Amino acid sequence: MDVANRKNIGWYLLFTLPLLIIFTIIVIIPFIIGIYYAFFEWDGINANPKVFVGMENFLTLFSDERFLKSTWLTVLFTVLSVISVNVVGLAFALLVTSKLKLANLARTMFFMPYLIGGLILGYIWQFVFLDVFTFVGEAVGLESIFFNWLLNENFALFALVFVFTWQMAGYVMIVYIAGIQGIPGELIEASKVDGASKWQRLMRITFPLLMPAFTISLFLTLSYGFKIYDVNLSLTGGGPANATELFAMNIYNEIFGYGNYGYGQAKAILFFVIIAAITLTQVYLTKKREVDM
Amino acid sequence: MVFKKKFTAGIAFAALMTGLAACSGNEEPATEGDGEEASQQITIFQTKVEISDQLEAAAEAYTEETGVDVEVIGTTGDDYFQQLQIRLNNGTGPSIMSVQNATVAESLTSYLHDLSGEEFVDDIAPDMALTLDEKVVGIPYGVEGFGIVYNKELVNPEDIQDYESFVSTLEKFNAEGINGYGLSSEAYFLIGHMSNYPFSIQEEPVEFMESLTNGEVTMAETEEFLRFGEYMEAIRANTPSPLSTSYDQQVGDFAAGKTAMIHQGNWAWGLLQDFEVDFEVGMAPFPLEGNDKLAVGVGSNWAVNADKEPEEIQAATDFLEWLHTSETGKRIIVEEFKFVPAMTNIEATDLDPLSQAVLEASNSGNTIPWAHNYYPANLVPNDFAPAAEGFFVNEETTGEEFISNLDAAWQNASK
Repeated sequence: MDVANRKNIGWYLLFTLPLLIIFTIIVIIPFIIGIYYAFFEWDGINANPKVFVGMENFLTLFSDERFLKSTWLTVLFTVLSVISVNVVGLAFALLVTSKLKLANLARTMFFMPYLIGGLILGYIWQFVFLDVFTFVGEAVGLESIFFNWLLNENFALFALVFVFTWQMAGYVMIVYIAGIQGIPGELIEASKVDGASKWQRLMRITFPLLMPAFTISLFLTLSYGFKIYDVNLSLTGGGPANATELFAMNIYNEIFGYGNYGYGQAKAILFFVIIAAITLTQVYLTKKREVDM
Repeated sequence: MVFKKKFTAGIAFAALMTGLAACSGNEEPATEGDGEEASQQITIFQTKVEISDQLEAAAEAYTEETGVDVEVIGTTGDDYFQQLQIRLNNGTGPSIMSVQNATVAESLTSYLHDLSGEEFVDDIAPDMALTLDEKVVGIPYGVEGFGIVYNKELVNPEDIQDYESFVSTLEKFNAEGINGYGLSSEAYFLIGHMSNYPFSIQEEPVEFMESLTNGEVTMAETEEFLRFGEYMEAIRANTPSPLSTSYDQQVGDFAAGKTAMIHQGNWAWGLLQDFEVDFEVGMAPFPLEGNDKLAVGVGSNWAVNADKEPEEIQAATDFLEWLHTSETGKRIIVEEFKFVPAMTNIEATDLDPLSQAVLEASNSGNTIPWAHNYYPANLVPNDFAPAAEGFFVNEETTGEEFISNLDAAWQNASK
């Protein structure tokens, strides 16, 4: 048995070690170095001096209005998109698992946007908002709804939520489909025999048994939403007038725009702590509600 | 069982070989470095998108003539400095880079090779070299100028000589359904270049900027800026939003006759040609407070990376010398790059109309300086652009409030 075990460890190492090494090099080490830089005042150019400032960078964070605004925008964006992505994704999933004729085609179509990269999607939608929206607005006269959302400080964020939903809904749909298909047919049948209505079946059987899928989907959208950068960059670029500068972009601008490497790192560390805290709490809460079959 | 063992050994062997190959791969350049072929390769990473293709061609010509391999790294334009910074930090910095101005040069001090001793540096036109502590660290690309580029069939330059006539011209075009004055959404084309005027027509622009930083004056209490705010209000009221227009569209609409005037520089000629512009084009001064001069300055400078092996620095310097002194090089600068040379040994011939206007202004001294070369680092994309975007999306923001926002932006960038 010992011999066999040792052999297994060999195989184990062969497959995990390369991954572990890569992960260490590109994630863990930069992360640790990043924490180190957060205590310095430095412009990011190697040859220039790094001045140790202790906790100052972290203290400045709480009086940095642009950063606080960006935090608020990110929270707003994430809340809105978690709701819309999951509602739309779940609706899609229920639709394509029903006995619809075009279910398979619809499934493919709904998933397609996810396969297009966020950057390209952003540029495509920039065009849609710029040309198609204004055109539709002029054609049907609903100019208060169909105008270029990207040039409005309030609507630009909704445009971002809209495009993010467009991108992610297909992905969480797949998760929900897997969940729905995992529900045993006899449960559904039994409920039918007992005379449950469609609505009752959905609320009393489907949703409770979908809890694991909810956990995964909420976790995914929550952390994706917080970390969003690509769609943000290509769709609005943070504009107009910084009205859609979300967390990740604020950090990027601080480091590369203003050249405050240390301060930007401090922001990034805070960013990490917040994301870790939120997603862990969320996983813990939803895990508790999962139903064992 | 035997098979399994062989299989494991096979994998281990393969892994070992890859390791060895990687090692030997690292050693190769070192052994080569001892030979005559030493650092016969240089890399160029520069900011000007307009000359990317031409520079590649120049690099090939140079390789043919001298055997030195020149690699041109593609540029993205707006985020050039960030890309450069990343490259310098991770050790893949180019041998030749662009340095936009003195502010940037200061932050890159330790990477800038001192070119003072080179012979061809003496040929740089007076006051055009990029200097740092009295050492020459940058060779100017060329002289560039910007102003109101107008369609001679639609606009009479006499109609845009003061505020009243400028505004009534805009209103006239607006009524005709023509865009009277086109800006575009890129930071420098939206506000960066425009914001020069109130600074440049100060008696001492650089000193004015210093007192601005010290808080001794504000833009909001300076006459020229308030006037500038009024111009911006007139532009916003009479033209479509520049925020939904890109540089390409701006120039394309102009070439198509949909826009009567755009605010651009002589660099836009190449693009105008691509759009096959079929009318006469002129460049007029922006008439802020009676200004009748074009804004002329140096757009960027070639610099040699001091953080390289001496041979590579030498090779890079040689390339710049070739570009600025050899017949081929000089021809490339004038004919291919379409630069208005800032070197006394290069004669400008056959210039396009916009460059001709710039050269004439420059020769007659009828110019105002580029104030934006002295702005705090990255002020334009970081702070001025959002302020201008805010101004253009909120119709109720007045010109005066806009100028106060620029004040706040300046303070934020210079703190």
